[in-house]
Amino acid sequence: MIRFLTSLLVGATLLAAPVHAQNQPLRITIDEGIIEPLPLAVPNFVPDGAAATEYAAQIARVVAADLTGSGLFREIPSTAYISQVTSFDAPVQFADWKAINAQALVTGSVSLSGDRLTVRFRLWDVFAGTELGSGLQFAGTTDGWRRMAHKVADAVYSRITGEGGYFDSRVVFVSESGPKDQRRKRLAIMDYDGANVQYLTDSSSIVLAPRFSPTGDRVLYTSYQGGFPRIHILDVGRVEQRVLQSQEGTMSFAPRFSPDGQTVLFSLSQGGNTDLYTMNIASGQSARLTSAPSIETAPSYSPDGSRIVFESDRSGTPQLYIMSASGGEAQRISFGQGRYGTPVWSPRGDLIAFTKQNKGRFHIGVMRTDGSEERLLTASFLDEGPTWSPNGRVIMFTRETQGADGRASLYSVDISGRNLRPVRTPDGGSDPTWSPLLE
Amino acid sequence: MQTGTKISGIAHVTLVAWAFLGGAFRSEPLPFEVQDVSVISAEEFAALSAPREAPEVIQNPAEPAQPIAPAEQTTPSEPAAEPEPVETRPEPEPVPAPEPEPAPEAVAPTPEPALPEENPSLEQPEPETVLLPEPPGKRPKPRPVERVAPEPVAAPPPDARPDPVETPPVSAEQGAETPQPEQQATAPEEATDRITPEAEPTVEVAPSRSPRPRTRPQVTQTAEAKPESKPEVEPSENPAPTPSSAVNAALAEALASASEPVAAPAPSGPPLSSGEKDALRVAVSQCWNVGSLSTEALNTTVVVSVRMNADGTPDTGSIRMIESSGGSSGAAKQAYEAARRAIIRCGTKGYNLPSEKYDHWRDIEMTFNPERMRIK
Repeated sequence: MIRFLTSLLVGATLLAAPVHAQNQPLRITIDEGIIEPLPLAVPNFVPDGAAATEYAAQIARVVAADLTGSGLFREIPSTAYISQVTSFDAPVQFADWKAINAQALVTGSVSLSGDRLTVRFRLWDVFAGTELGSGLQFAGTTDGWRRMAHKVADAVYSRITGEGGYFDSRVVFVSESGPKDQRRKRLAIMDYDGANVQYLTDSSSIVLAPRFSPTGDRVLYTSYQGGFPRIHILDVGRVEQRVLQSQEGTMSFAPRFSPDGQTVLFSLSQGGNTDLYTMNIASGQSARLTSAPSIETAPSYSPDGSRIVFESDRSGTPQLYIMSASGGEAQRISFGQGRYGTPVWSPRGDLIAFTKQNKGRFHIGVMRTDGSEERLLTASFLDEGPTWSPNGRVIMFTRETQGADGRASLYSVDISGRNLRPVRTPDGGSDPTWSPLLE
Repeated sequence: MQTGTKISGIAHVTLVAWAFLGGAFRSEPLPFEVQDVSVISAEEFAALSAPREAPEVIQNPAEPAQPIAPAEQTTPSEPAAEPEPVETRPEPEPVPAPEPEPAPEAVAPTPEPALPEENPSLEQPEPETVLLPEPPGKRPKPRPVERVAPEPVAAPPPDARPDPVETPPVSAEQGAETPQPEQQATAPEEATDRITPEAEPTVEVAPSRSPRPRTRPQVTQTAEAKPESKPEVEPSENPAPTPSSAVNAALAEALASASEPVAAPAPSGPPLSSGEKDALRVAVSQCWNVGSLSTEALNTTVVVSVRMNADGTPDTGSIRMIESSGGSSGAAKQAYEAARRAIIRCGTKGYNLPSEKYDHWRDIEMTFNPERMRIK
């Protein structure tokens, strides 16, 4: 009986096998691709009236410059276009854009009413023949046309890459002019791409290490106004500054906002010893976090405010340590050769950027928060002072050339190590700090 | 379909059962032989020596009269048995002897007349060779065009058959633009090319075929019958939907969709070779650009399904993400869109896939694993 049932099962299996085979699709695995900028087309936006013609062209150029500047996109020149976009609402001729290998297409329109600009745009996946996301519209004054262009670029960037943009943001930095031994330094603010530079301080005193608040409305910096370094806080909108409360006979520097913007974390040097302190901005009440005889400086909060990464030479050479935001025992995370400094926690929370000096060269690098997977992104005579873009994808830093006529300037690099490019400023620049995305 | 399945199932079951039962009988005699050999060797010496001593001792001289009765019983049985085998031996000898003798004679004449019949007609067999190349004619089109008649050529009808079967789903998903040109492009081109040159030879070749198939080419006849039967089905399916009533259209679609899974088992023949799969993989990977993906999307593996057209181009409306792992839904969406761009962009001119294995690559599932492409 058992044999009979077994034979039945065998027979049923033989009969059922081809039935299963018929529904099996071909399966392949693709684990190698290419890494190259995505080709996209940004034809001039369609102006709604002759008055908007200039804005329509300029906005499209800024959008294209933002996207190509990220290193993730490559713009197809307008001379290669087969068809032109003459109406914002007309159907897109995908075949014409496929023919020039435009994988993404940005179309838009600009209308001007008085001094009010209205910008509309759509993003198309050319080869799929579909729209990515839905159309968006921004409105503002004519003075803010670049911001509207940045917002369009942020939306395009976000829809294609899947992560937030960083184009509608600002950078505060130290503008440097004059020879190296008589250099004049003053705080300046600009768009992330170097446009719209405005000076926030005069050059009467040395200023160092500006740091944006989490909301982008204030800046902390160190000024030698009065002869010794003290921490100042500057209201960016009103361009008003004041000195944070400090003790006599002490030097305070390397300030950094807490994620909630209520507390300042900084270094205080007293009696030849430098330790980390916090101070409530509103009340002026301070607390000491470290009490080691070594130098502890350059602190930076984690995005959730629970931990602090800082630089210390307690092991003999400057290294990176992490401890609780309330103080306590610190854990060393940098173990490579050379000296580590100026750590900055990524806004994503996954990486820590730092400056590394090894064998006479300076590097900007990143590592995991546990010190693993250290990667050096740059190398030069002097690279230092990294700051993160709002989306944690790009790092801006200071690069200074060698010699008596050496000049400091700003550079940016993708965290992949690609797309190293200078940030154009009217004069030299150093100590950049990147704001969050503007509202 | 069900009756055929039942018949084949019953046949399989009986075959398997018969195999098992036959094996059971054969397995029994084996252990008896082994036991006899081991036991007999020790007892035989004692048994053989005992009977020799027993009859020799005293019983034979002491009882001469009594043994008469048992002697009668034993004596008739022994001689009766002896002559019987003697008689049987001569009887079987004449019976089998004549049988084998005529057997070789009968076998010898049957093949011999068949061969000489074919030999004299060797000059004519040319049409036979024409019949055989029909199945290979499906691969290269120029061969059938030169010799074979246009109508009997099997290649065009089977190619045209899958097209109408596919078109209904394509038209339903995307639109009627893409599928319609495919139908018209494939079928008419092959028909027009063959009509003009093949019209003349068909008349000459046709009569020569009909007498030949009797002896041998039963297999070729079946091969011919298949392509002939298929084109008959095609027109029946096409006109069915044309009567435009909603019910008929729905029935036609249902029948078409029902016929697809039946056609799917058709993937007869060998599947795609590893080289052909690699070629497809390389072709897609050349357009898989992960340079604009977020770091999270670079940690997301997506499985994308796509239905291919017979010309090797992907049906863009059929591309779906059926699985993702390693990232959020947003990252999976970006990873899927990059994969979709790769499939479409490198497939605009059609992937280089063997058309005769279309049933094997009509539905493809591609796994895009960016593990090796992550930022390092």
